[in-house]
Amino acid sequence: MSLTKAQMVTLFTNLVRAEHFGKMMYRRMMQGKLIGFYHPADGAIAPGVAACSFLNQDDPLWPHHRGHGITHMLSKGIDIKYYLAEHTGKSTGCCNGHSGFHYGFPEHHVHLHSGFIGANFMPTVGYAWAAKQRGKGQVVMNCSGDGSYGEGRAHEGMLMAAVWKLPEVFMCENNGYSIFSTFEEMHPTEDIATMAQGLDIPAVVVDGQDVFAVAEVAIAAIDRARKGQGPSFIEAKCLRFKEHDIGNRDLRGYKPREDEEYQEMQKRDPVVLATERVLADKVLSQDEIDGIHEAAANEVADAEQFADDSEIARPTIEEMEAMVFAP
Amino acid sequence: MAIPYVMPKLAMAMNEGTINEWLVQEGDFVAKAQPLASIETEKVAYDVESPEEGYIRFVAQPGDIVPCGELVATFCESEAELAEISAAAPIVGATLANTAATEDALATASAAAVPASAAPAPGVTASSAGGRIIASPLAKKIAADNALDLRTLAGSGPQGRIVKRDVLAALERGVPAAAPFASGAARELARIPMAGMRKTIAGRMTQSLQSTAQLSSGWESDITDLLAARKKFVSREQQLGTRVSVNAFIVKAMVYAIRRVPIANSCQEGDDIVIYDNINMGVAVSLPGVSEYDSGLVVAVLRNVERMGLVDIDREMKALVERVRNGQGTADDLSGATITLSSTAGIAPPGLMSTPVLNLPNAALVGPSTAVEKAVVRDGELVVRTMMPVSFTFDHRMLDGEPAARFMNALHEALENPELMLA
Amino acid sequence: MRELTYINAIREAIQQEMRADETVFMVGQDIRGGVYPHTKDLVDEFGEDRIVDTPLAETGMFGTAYGAALEGFRPIVDFMFGSCAFVNFNETSIMAGQQYFMHGAKHPLPLVMTAAVGMGKRIGNDHAMFIHSTFCRQPGIKVAMASTPYDAKGMFAQAIRDNNPVMIPWHTGVMQKREHVPEEPYYIPLGVADVKREGSDVTVLANSEQLYNALELAEELAGEISVEVIDPRSFVPFDLDTVLKSLAKTNRIVIVDEDWESCGMASTISARIVEHGFDLLDAPIRRVCLPNIPIPGGYMEDYTRPTKEKIEAAIRDVCA
Repeated sequence: MSLTKAQMVTLFTNLVRAEHFGKMMYRRMMQGKLIGFYHPADGAIAPGVAACSFLNQDDPLWPHHRGHGITHMLSKGIDIKYYLAEHTGKSTGCCNGHSGFHYGFPEHHVHLHSGFIGANFMPTVGYAWAAKQRGKGQVVMNCSGDGSYGEGRAHEGMLMAAVWKLPEVFMCENNGYSIFSTFEEMHPTEDIATMAQGLDIPAVVVDGQDVFAVAEVAIAAIDRARKGQGPSFIEAKCLRFKEHDIGNRDLRGYKPREDEEYQEMQKRDPVVLATERVLADKVLSQDEIDGIHEAAANEVADAEQFADDSEIARPTIEEMEAMVFAP
Repeated sequence: MAIPYVMPKLAMAMNEGTINEWLVQEGDFVAKAQPLASIETEKVAYDVESPEEGYIRFVAQPGDIVPCGELVATFCESEAELAEISAAAPIVGATLANTAATEDALATASAAAVPASAAPAPGVTASSAGGRIIASPLAKKIAADNALDLRTLAGSGPQGRIVKRDVLAALERGVPAAAPFASGAARELARIPMAGMRKTIAGRMTQSLQSTAQLSSGWESDITDLLAARKKFVSREQQLGTRVSVNAFIVKAMVYAIRRVPIANSCQEGDDIVIYDNINMGVAVSLPGVSEYDSGLVVAVLRNVERMGLVDIDREMKALVERVRNGQGTADDLSGATITLSSTAGIAPPGLMSTPVLNLPNAALVGPSTAVEKAVVRDGELVVRTMMPVSFTFDHRMLDGEPAARFMNALHEALENPELMLA
Repeated sequence: MRELTYINAIREAIQQEMRADETVFMVGQDIRGGVYPHTKDLVDEFGEDRIVDTPLAETGMFGTAYGAALEGFRPIVDFMFGSCAFVNFNETSIMAGQQYFMHGAKHPLPLVMTAAVGMGKRIGNDHAMFIHSTFCRQPGIKVAMASTPYDAKGMFAQAIRDNNPVMIPWHTGVMQKREHVPEEPYYIPLGVADVKREGSDVTVLANSEQLYNALELAEELAGEISVEVIDPRSFVPFDLDTVLKSLAKTNRIVIVDEDWESCGMASTISARIVEHGFDLLDAPIRRVCLPNIPIPGGYMEDYTRPTKEKIEAAIRDVCA
């Protein structure tokens, strides 16, 4: 299937926004203006944009931890300033300053985050089961990296989605690394997709640097699920331009990544590729492209302003104790 | 294999002891017979020697009052075992006394044990005078709420713990609370806690008077001839090596009387009256108190006096009293009396008759006092004789009036006719 | 007077709540067929969509409940055996406990977890181990265990209505106890202890099968020692007030917890009593727990359980 012009514009816009937000997060982390840690998604933003740009508000989403879900959430239409406020410890944050880096947008059906890789496979079963029960055509978008598919949870999640024919899309963003460990060393087959195929889940492998290619298969998978045809698996092979998390060394195995690798990767920068494509296909003019960048820069600046102007969350112990249990 | 070391029972009447001081450090390797600890019983403190060898782990701390037979330390075979046991065992006896309190405790306790040395300042408290009070939290609270001093109580709970019932019982009995004296007109000269030896004496006296059917009788014995005989012994002081005392004669007279009325030399043990063959003479010895105002009292024991001659009795008795006054009384010196002599001669007014208190578990006690020259009738003639008042207390549960009277008479006979006691 | 067994009292609670609220559903392994009586034949009334059997995938099974709870349902997860709740302990304990608080206290997670626990069948550690203390550790999860049929129905129903994760296991040793259970729905609040027998000399805290031991023992000792028996019923929240009120009367307490001694609820209760009721104690607190030994199968199990004899010894110890 081919994408409409409107869809391509949406994808391009979200990609540019994701890039701007990602760079801001990296910069702020280096400036000491973020709480906790940050796992940069530089170079790997295309799959998230593709997966989430065409979801409905009531489609439950588990954002990939890489980039702290910003790519995914902004594509779904969530206002990132609330996430940035959370990540700066402010009471205006999406979790009222309780979490540091968790997502909490229940109105957008983004319910939680977890420090445990592979945690995504647990609640997504329930989201999808609930969606199927409701019968309103909700689809669950479950995004995680290659490392997460080492967990037994991944097997359970896929097995149950398959046996129950749940409306779920497994978006596997395979950037070839889990911290330092390489995919080749940690996985026995060339593609993770074969795991899904082993459970009779329709699976495709796609170039994760090409937002449009990923979007085509994502839209198809979402469609299948919405029609009640069950789960799909998409393996987007993408690239991790930077270290696993800021402050960590960027190793391959236990040796530094080579300069050649960086240089080769840069040639496949997703925004560069997407820009070439929208220009070539005459989807957008350069002016329009510049306008998109400017809007993105403003959006980011507004988010930073909001976060920086907000108060730090300072509840008392008693107030916190009163928030452990729901009334 | 670790060897337990329990609070030794150093005297028949000893129920509990206080660790005044460990004479080794925790973890030291202690050899057999090495001085291990200074332990205070109800009356006296002495240094005990180690019965075992090994690396020592303390279970009881200085100041702890421990019932006899309870664990106070463990001898470990190796340092490894010591470490293991130290890690495994919780600290028994809860809080560790802080160093200052412990030092106070040691200073005061040893002062009480060695009366000859300078007494500590008045106002020293019981807790620093050697002895943590073990009481349940509830008991402490009730006591505090009622201004009741826990130091006045004995505990009936496990390990002698003072528990609620003990406090409630004390309140019901009306044990005077440690309330401050209400009047502003009274100015304190000294404050002496009823602790340590005082507390023991108080307890013993009360127990003796409340748990027996004791009564006292008194008479006068003519010791004119006894004194004349004594004079002869005194003139031979150099030769005999001792200046024979009147008390030595009285002891001899008591031996004579006991041989005639053996039941006077008996003790209550459980439900039995045990009449002893040998005579361990209890001798009441006064001691200095903790201040210049009060005093102490201990019964020293001269053992097997029936075998001793007059001179031996005198010499041994003096040595015994000196030992005891110097705090060097051994366990045997301080326990096992079968009958007791408590003299106030020379201190009390002439002719004093009294009701001395029995030294439990003895059945009898002889209490002579200051003799007086009196006009008495002898063979129809008025003569001047030296008359010594003798008070005799006996326990009517064990001795009836008839044997008591016969004993008194025999004693009287010997006192008036010294040749009888020398026979 | 209608009597129900404990296990059927739970069943009735589930039925009544499921009838009243269509968002309530059950998920577990083999609950349609019903390994235990409380789920048997429920599928006939409620259908396969509300009585859900899953593959042998605890994370997926629990995820079905967890995700559905976040999406507007009120699930009951049945782990079959308590130990199975540890298979995906991150999910059942950490994630469930922190969900509400960590995400801004905005979006509750109403979720009931249940399973069979309990010694007495000589089946060994895997199937017998108690899980309540472990679930008390992670803040955000309520933990309760009912001891009687009457309590079971009321507490289970309350757990289903509670907007928080509630871990409410049940002891196989009490599942056949019978007593009068009202037919109409009723709710017993969580976090409230129950004085099951009044007394004045010593307080005994006991739950599940040990509650029956304590009550029998109290009857035997009547006339000699007056035993007040309290069933805590809930461990989180824990009703310390009822215990302290009892302690003010008796001044002595024995805590019976059929769970390992180390880091069990008995330890936490003891510490809280010392913190808040120190001056009420006339004797040390005694706990009667399992020794820290994996629960043996075979006859060895009998030696490790708290028994009436062990409880009596503890009672006499604190009354000395």
